[in-house]
Amino acid sequence: MTSINFERVSFAYPDSGDRVLDDVTLSIAEGSFVLVTGDTGAGKSTFIRAINGLVPHFTGGEYSGAVTLRGDTVRNTLDCAPRDLADLVAFVPQDPAAAFVVDRVEDEIAYSLENLGADRAVMRRRVEETLDTLNIADLRDRSVRTLSGGERQRVAIAAALAPGPGILLLDEPTSQLDPQGAEDVLAALQRLVHDLGITVVLAEHRLERVAGFVDLAVGLRRGESVTIGQPARVLEKLGSGPPVARLGRLVGWSPPPLTVRDARRMAPRLSLAEPTGTEPVTGAPVLAAAGLSAGYGRNLVLTDIDVTLAEGHIVALMGRNGAGKTTLLRCLTGLHTPESGTVAVRGEPPVAGHNVALCPQRPESLLFAESVAAEVEATLKAVGSNASADAALDALGIGEFRDAHPRDLSAGERLLVAIASTVATDAPVLLLDEPTRGLDHESKTRLVRFLRSWASRGRAVMVATHDVELAAQVATSVVMIATGEVIAQGKPNDVLGDSPVFAPQMARVFGPGWLTPEQVAAAVTS
Amino acid sequence: MHQGAWLLWALSGGLVAITTTNPFYLLPLLGIAWVVHAAHARPGPQARSFRIFLIFGALTICTRTALVLFLPDIQWGNIVEAAMEGLRLAVLLTVFGAYNTVSDPFGVLRLSPRRWHEPALAASLALSIAPRTIAAVSTVREAQRLRGIEVRRWRSLPALAVPVLETGMEEAVVLAESMDARGHGRGRRTRYRPERWGREATFVSIACVFAVGVAGAALLRNDPSLALSAFPVTWPAVAPVMLVAIVGLSVPAWLSLGDQTRASR
Repeated sequence: MTSINFERVSFAYPDSGDRVLDDVTLSIAEGSFVLVTGDTGAGKSTFIRAINGLVPHFTGGEYSGAVTLRGDTVRNTLDCAPRDLADLVAFVPQDPAAAFVVDRVEDEIAYSLENLGADRAVMRRRVEETLDTLNIADLRDRSVRTLSGGERQRVAIAAALAPGPGILLLDEPTSQLDPQGAEDVLAALQRLVHDLGITVVLAEHRLERVAGFVDLAVGLRRGESVTIGQPARVLEKLGSGPPVARLGRLVGWSPPPLTVRDARRMAPRLSLAEPTGTEPVTGAPVLAAAGLSAGYGRNLVLTDIDVTLAEGHIVALMGRNGAGKTTLLRCLTGLHTPESGTVAVRGEPPVAGHNVALCPQRPESLLFAESVAAEVEATLKAVGSNASADAALDALGIGEFRDAHPRDLSAGERLLVAIASTVATDAPVLLLDEPTRGLDHESKTRLVRFLRSWASRGRAVMVATHDVELAAQVATSVVMIATGEVIAQGKPNDVLGDSPVFAPQMARVFGPGWLTPEQVAAAVTS
Repeated sequence: MHQGAWLLWALSGGLVAITTTNPFYLLPLLGIAWVVHAAHARPGPQARSFRIFLIFGALTICTRTALVLFLPDIQWGNIVEAAMEGLRLAVLLTVFGAYNTVSDPFGVLRLSPRRWHEPALAASLALSIAPRTIAAVSTVREAQRLRGIEVRRWRSLPALAVPVLETGMEEAVVLAESMDARGHGRGRRTRYRPERWGREATFVSIACVFAVGVAGAALLRNDPSLALSAFPVTWPAVAPVMLVAIVGLSVPAWLSLGDQTRASR
């Protein structure tokens, strides 16, 4: 049981005049479930890292004020380095794979306990308890390198929890997870708050799930003072929130609802016209895959998949972590040779970077140039195009950054640069692998606008994503795969509308047929 | 299997390899390293690094042989001798490569005495860098290909090197942060369950001690079968006991090790 107190905390990173935290004073009571939210670059990670002293002990920079943690002992982050707070605060970074220290799950969980010098008997008991708390006892002997995304996240949380800290900090814990995996992780966190009285603080962009779980929110915005309070009020002030909140704002519900359940209670106040079906897009097929089976060695990942991407279409590829989405994308680009079946782009085999382009999950794996414009020009030069880099940048709405160094941009902006350098190939087929990680509302709007205009110019687009709200917004059709097979394919309404796991919030409130808040607001008759 | 037994196996294989230039001893050893790798490679990027060790081994043989070609009045014997010395190094590399893929990179950490924890941690992190970098190189190459940039020539090297180094740096920072936040370096450190020395580990150790003993004895009494006689080049003799000792090193390949033994605990 530990509370957190910020007292006049200000912080600026080295070599940057801007203060990321500016005179922050607030306190978080023990046993709270706290959401830290704000646009990228607003300082969510910084705020979280200030609680366990990674800021300023690891970052350097200009720091004043103090963060005090009150539990069985009272300690502050100025006198104590992160390691001296390790028994009090636990931290799970955004990419848990990079943070694992040893190889086997069980040893990974024991690692903090070893560092804290716990007795062997205590360790044995704590490791077993933690395995049970997170329900991962069956993973104990696995190598951490072989875990799926959701498993990895739960192991990382278990490893953090083992020493029994009073505070748990998490940086975007659900951004890489499928809807069910995200739900499981959040439910596990809620159990920790309710049963053990742990204070959980998490930073998150995608609010549609988190909003219903948390009981306190910290809102950050560049150049403004921090707000703390009821999640509904904080999100209203930031002008963000899950789709139900967006709808609330559009139709004038105050305060806007945060969860599907709240919205259902308010829904009878609206009288809606029948949902208008979207115009079916017709276009000539560009990419056709037939009877595709593929795998690694003897292990078959995809079986007998038929997929067609047509001009003007944006296809959302959905399914659990490990369902085979990435393998399918690799087959469509020609990088992975299928066991059987064919892939053809306008009758020819796919050639990566020429008739099929793909933007990878992590933009860091392709950005190398000194400026944003040079990054796009590198692609143009490689494919022998005379087009100007500015066209691609403007299409994504990032022309203002043309001379900036990609490293100086926020995660969301970097992703848009990576997409711009991919579309510069001008390939007729564009594939995107999980393009909404770390994307705030603003960047996501730019992405949606770009995808629509790109498709309307006769290109075919496929987006592999866990983000059901993105799929609801842009997809003209959805392909759902499970254990390597296509289990549903069709219009978003038909595939997502009544799915218990994948339905967007509007469909949950108003029934299948409704996808986005804008669509609902436009159908209000009185 | 106990990490100590794996370490012993690798050391024994290496020791036996450096005592001889006889291809009838070296080639079986090479095969054994391969078989052990095939039977027990851990899943993940390390498994792929075995190939890199093989390639380096092949390169060693070629360079060692090529160096002799510059000798004045060169004879067949020089070439054969050099090739066998190259082969010896290649076998050494292959054994180490197999050890690298079958063992836990952090196994060394668990074996080290408490006061050597820091250097052992540095060593095991260093050992895990090679497979991580190999994985990063192939990810980045693919990512660049998918936007039309083929990393083949020197000029396009930055497109490969910059993202690999940058993601490597980023990961290193994340790891350092995470270790610190989890109390690394607080001084008093205890150890979670030490590994169990199972029956398999005993079998393997016996085979290892036998192999090293036989090779050592052969060395001491100047066994002619150890070295290939190159002037003139003749087929080397084979001491049956030596061959038995070498084949004994394949014991780990025939045992079912690892997770099954733990699960039945």
